[in-house]
Amino acid sequence: MEIKSPKDFWSGVMFVAFGGGMATIAVLHYQMGSAVRMGPAYFPAVLGAILAILGLVLLVRSVTLKGEKVPTFHFRPLLFILVACLAFAYTLKPLGLTGATLLLIFISAYGGHEFKWKEVAILYVVLIIFSVLVFVKGLTLPFPICPDVIEDFCRF
Amino acid sequence: MRAWLAAGRRLATAAALAAAAVPALAQSWPAKPVRIVVPYPPGGPVDISARLLAPKLQEAFGQPFIVENKPGAGGNIGADFVAKSAPDGYTIGMGAIATHAINPALMANVPYDPVRDFRHLALVVQVPNVLVVNNDLPAKSVAELIALARAQPGKLDFASGSTGSTGHLAGELFKQMTGTYMVHIPYKGAPPAVADLLAGRVHLMFDNLASALPNVRAGKLRALAVTTLKRSSALPDVPTLDESGLKGFDMKTWWGLMGPAQMPADIAQRLAAEILRAMDAPDVREKLRAMGMEGSSVRTPEQFTAFVDSERRLYAQLVKRSAAKPD
Amino acid sequence: MEIFSNLALGFGVAMSPFNLLMCLVGVLLGTLIGVLPGVGPIATIAMLLPVTFNLNPVAALIMLAGIYYGAQYGGSTTAILVNIPGESSSVVTCLDGYQMARQGRAGPALATAAIGSFFAGCVATLVVAMFAPPLAEVALKFGPSEYFSLMVLGLVAAVVLAHGSLVKAIGMVLLGLLLGLVGTDVNSGVLRFAFGISELADGIGFVTVAMGMFGLAEIIANLEHKGAREVFTSKVTHLWPTKQDWKRIVGPILRGTFLGSALGILPGGGALLASFGAYTLEKKVSKYAHEFGKGAIEGVAAPESANNAGAQTSFIPLLTLGIPSNAVMALMIGAMMIQGIAPGPQVMTERPQLFWGMIASMWIGNLMLVVLNLPLIGMWVKLLSVPYRILYPSILVFMAIGVFSLSNNPFDVFLMALFGLLGYICVKLECEPAPMILGFILGPLMEENLRRAMLLSRGDPLVFFQKPISASFLVVSLILLAIIALPNIRKKREEVFVEET
Repeated sequence: MEIKSPKDFWSGVMFVAFGGGMATIAVLHYQMGSAVRMGPAYFPAVLGAILAILGLVLLVRSVTLKGEKVPTFHFRPLLFILVACLAFAYTLKPLGLTGATLLLIFISAYGGHEFKWKEVAILYVVLIIFSVLVFVKGLTLPFPICPDVIEDFCRF
Repeated sequence: MRAWLAAGRRLATAAALAAAAVPALAQSWPAKPVRIVVPYPPGGPVDISARLLAPKLQEAFGQPFIVENKPGAGGNIGADFVAKSAPDGYTIGMGAIATHAINPALMANVPYDPVRDFRHLALVVQVPNVLVVNNDLPAKSVAELIALARAQPGKLDFASGSTGSTGHLAGELFKQMTGTYMVHIPYKGAPPAVADLLAGRVHLMFDNLASALPNVRAGKLRALAVTTLKRSSALPDVPTLDESGLKGFDMKTWWGLMGPAQMPADIAQRLAAEILRAMDAPDVREKLRAMGMEGSSVRTPEQFTAFVDSERRLYAQLVKRSAAKPD
Repeated sequence: MEIFSNLALGFGVAMSPFNLLMCLVGVLLGTLIGVLPGVGPIATIAMLLPVTFNLNPVAALIMLAGIYYGAQYGGSTTAILVNIPGESSSVVTCLDGYQMARQGRAGPALATAAIGSFFAGCVATLVVAMFAPPLAEVALKFGPSEYFSLMVLGLVAAVVLAHGSLVKAIGMVLLGLLLGLVGTDVNSGVLRFAFGISELADGIGFVTVAMGMFGLAEIIANLEHKGAREVFTSKVTHLWPTKQDWKRIVGPILRGTFLGSALGILPGGGALLASFGAYTLEKKVSKYAHEFGKGAIEGVAAPESANNAGAQTSFIPLLTLGIPSNAVMALMIGAMMIQGIAPGPQVMTERPQLFWGMIASMWIGNLMLVVLNLPLIGMWVKLLSVPYRILYPSILVFMAIGVFSLSNNPFDVFLMALFGLLGYICVKLECEPAPMILGFILGPLMEENLRRAMLLSRGDPLVFFQKPISASFLVVSLILLAIIALPNIRKKREEVFVEET
């Protein structure tokens, strides 16, 4: 069988996976109850089942009707942006806002098409000053500004 | 050999100096901002009381006291965070009846021990719950309500702000003590529950006083009783459940400040004393009272710890008896 | 007429120099927060609560209210400029607003949003002034059955929003519904789909999903090719709507205002339903329906008017019954209580300066916002022409800070990244995120109301058809479903025919 519509095919796969997956988890772990007195599994099971069915419809369609190809995945920007976000999240406490933002900006900028060290550095300085002023001082969000190790020397 | 001795002497001096520095460190507390962790989203009553106290504590200790919200899992995330935080006196947090008495009884895997993992500083607020009914319900007293419930078992609906809340558990205890059967209708928070109560879609609710007070005062809801042993100063004409025949009924919502268990004792003492002083300040007391919150009768950290322990056991029993488990 | 004397009292209070200043501070702050992706009015108002302790109640509430609808204005700005919905009700503005920006028409989009919001704000304020108590009574008539049916109608409308494949749109709605169920189930207290992660106990936050699926996905998509974003800057034409534009937006603004004012009074989701209800309505009645999703100006005018009208009328349950319509209002109740004001029906009679002063300041706030925002349009459009390699890291910084600040937990940012991945996949597969987000928000509410209605009726499913309001919503949903489905079925049949010949 030839896949005539890759977009439909993969959408179908996604729907079947999510729908079927969640319905199965629901039925296995939570109580269904009855239609009259629904348990926690009822709604997700029914919805998941319908989603899975729609996924099957798409799968069938993908082998019968001609559709578009899935545009190429560009893994480079995807990876860099996501890693940048994760780096920020998990270094905020140990490295403070200054360190985490540094990682975020440099990693995400590197994932783009033009990377000029000086430019990115200036952008970093501007953004960190703005962020400290607006978020930490202005809105009093409780972010540590400096890395843990030099915390005692950092009295902003 | 002599080199070893010299090194050893140097080490000993260093150790002695370090040991001398430790009390100095404690005396220099607070040398940087202290964080007050609130395990609920901003704007709720627990959060507001923390924000009322913070500036007072800042005045007393000269360092900023910053409120940090860590909501989630009914307050467990924030409470756990405080329990496991560094015991250096720079992290304290709010612990409430939910996090320290009810959740440990209701949920299977609460990651902390409410009594042993915390140093309890001061109980900040106590709020009674009040039994309110829709105005059209033909019950003007607790006795009439019980009679109504007995005459039509399973017909009355009682609302609560969430499964496992004090409102819910108060209702379950009420049912147990009066031998009646009412259907529990949980909501996501008190306001939608109150809305349905006003409209008459549910019949009664054990709402916390702060939330019910405006409607009671406006005559939109009828208050039949309060859940504490003593009458509330905000509603002096409303009897207690204890007075109305449910002997010994005493439930109230509470919260207070705590730190991790290993927190230095002297820092804890200083904080406890200052918190109490802040609570007694007239402007703080007035603002809290306006919200129906009373200050607490528990005055020392030891009393607080004993209180948390007794509450924990009370709710463990209650939950077991009423089997109010998340099914 | 009494209303005039009341309004006169209100304006007298609201126009005192101090209160005017508070209003200005509020709307400025609100706009700033609305524009910063991720930081929302809730955190800000909470932060400012202690400041309000020292203000008199009227001034405090005027400022807080200003923050709230200022954030609505700001939220539409980011929706149009960078495809990030600042508030849940700005999700719909992303659809056509961002597309307009892509075509170099960010200026007219922003202007339409501002003007539509202003008009809606004025009308809605009048509605609040004149009809607050009777409308509150109507709001009380909405119980779980009525909410459920309304949301069913809303979800059907969400399907209409999509301009692609019907099957995929319904699928995305369902996906959103399912994702919304993650967390603690209200009716039973069971923790669902949390896989032992305690941060998921309260569900996945809207901001996290929106930032990921709209913001991150868009940034990644833009980074694919070097010139992917040239479109924005090369075709900037007018900053102001054209005469044709003006003619086109009159109807949508009127309809959106009406719908928004009506739905906003419903506590819990009213303003959101209004914005995409208005969009759907426009799509059905407009002769430019084919342009929707590709930059139709009606697609900005209608939802923006609706959500601002809804934002104003959502004060009605707060001011008349003391019932908050959303989390921001809950905060304001806290602020009121600290000031010793008991929110509830007696506020109108016991504290007329507060009630009417707030209403008057709502109008003044709207005026300030439109005066503030219109000149800023030039600046915003200029901002879009900043080289993208500088723009996108900045956006990322604000998004990351904003999302992190939700619960001071790195997990939220991790989730955002996950949804960024999902969003990118959906872009590639041509599955639209907007229906998913709407399902995500409405899903748990629908289930909650469905089960509660069944609990209250002791298991009688006919209750949805026995109550008149509920029944009418369900009937309209069926009709709408039929309207959507029929042309599609016919089209599919034709497609199949073409395939086979």
